[in-house]
Amino acid sequence: MDDGRDEVIDRAARALGAMPAVRTGAVARVLMAVRANQARPASPWRRFTRRIDAMSVSARGAALLVAASLVAGFFVRGSVGEDRLLPAAVPVVGPALQPAANGAAEQRLMPVAVAFEAANATSVSVVGDFNDWDPRATPMVRVGDGGPWSATVFAKPGRHTYAFLIDGTTLVADPRAPRARSADFEGDASVMMVRTP
Amino acid sequence: MRWVSAALAVAAFGSAAGAQDARLAVIRDDATRDAVRQFVEAARARGTPTDPLVARALEGVAFKADRKKIEQAMAALEKRLRRSRDLLGPRASVEEVTAAADALAADVPEGTIRDMKRIVPQRPITVELGVLTELVARGVAPKRAATMVRELMARGATGAQLTELNAAVQQDVALGVKPVAALELRSRGVMSLLPPPASVLSAQRP
Repeated sequence: MDDGRDEVIDRAARALGAMPAVRTGAVARVLMAVRANQARPASPWRRFTRRIDAMSVSARGAALLVAASLVAGFFVRGSVGEDRLLPAAVPVVGPALQPAANGAAEQRLMPVAVAFEAANATSVSVVGDFNDWDPRATPMVRVGDGGPWSATVFAKPGRHTYAFLIDGTTLVADPRAPRARSADFEGDASVMMVRTP
Repeated sequence: MRWVSAALAVAAFGSAAGAQDARLAVIRDDATRDAVRQFVEAARARGTPTDPLVARALEGVAFKADRKKIEQAMAALEKRLRRSRDLLGPRASVEEVTAAADALAADVPEGTIRDMKRIVPQRPITVELGVLTELVARGVAPKRAATMVRELMARGATGAQLTELNAAVQQDVALGVKPVAALELRSRGVMSLLPPPASVLSAQRP
């Protein structure tokens, strides 16, 4: 290091110098071969096998299963007959990616079950924006002897506020639901989110 | 035929007004009931949807609010309803306009509501607005929540998916997770179920 030379670099330079010189003709041949291979259109079978090769093991297994199911289904369909294989109705499972165009789903009343613990109450009703906060609209019934109070309300999809009215006098929020703090009135209500059907 | 149509319209209007009057009958205080009725009739004349106003008045009655508080609440709500109608357009449903008014009350920016409607102009965004309002109420900053909900909508998320997202965020927050962190985490889960942005855009293209 005294003369400004790095010993490690020197060693690397000596090792590289010992390697055979690269022949420019050979490099050109390799590059031309690669280019020719890219330019040649792959056959449909080759493209298919490439796709299969690109799949992960689990995806390949799934693709083979689907193919086997289709083949088996073709033969079963022929032997059993069409009528028995056509279901009357099949519910769609999973997220609906294309929403309803007319918004009819948003107008449907959805049932929502509510429950409330009030052991000493003689009557409980659920009031909210879905029933105009009317204490007579949705009286709750006690489940069993001394059990919780229960009712089902019907509300359109969206956000709704509600509370429980105990013995016709005391309004309390649902302790098991998020609070809706009103900026207009004193007292807390609860929030229920009703989803689209 | 014109006379029949007019008669039906008058009958429908009369029955609607009558139904509202019947709802207001639960207000025991005469002065409050009269004040609410006058306010509702004036709002109807101004073209404001009156159902949410009646509901707000009855909520005030349930919470034993006095007449002044109820009138103030109705006036504030009417202002938000009218602004919401402007933002959403004349074809918006009453539920949608009410949801937008609630969102405004929760400090959701006006531009966000307009943008959300632009993403899916063909259907109501009642549920989406409700979810946004709740996310903000749970402590997510309005701008952050709005950005996330808009992004999910643009990717094709349904109201049902957003409702589930909201429920999951609420559970996380109840367990002590920071609201923003919960939203980021759960949004990623919903995003993974959605098609990539390019396919959504091509599906929306006429």
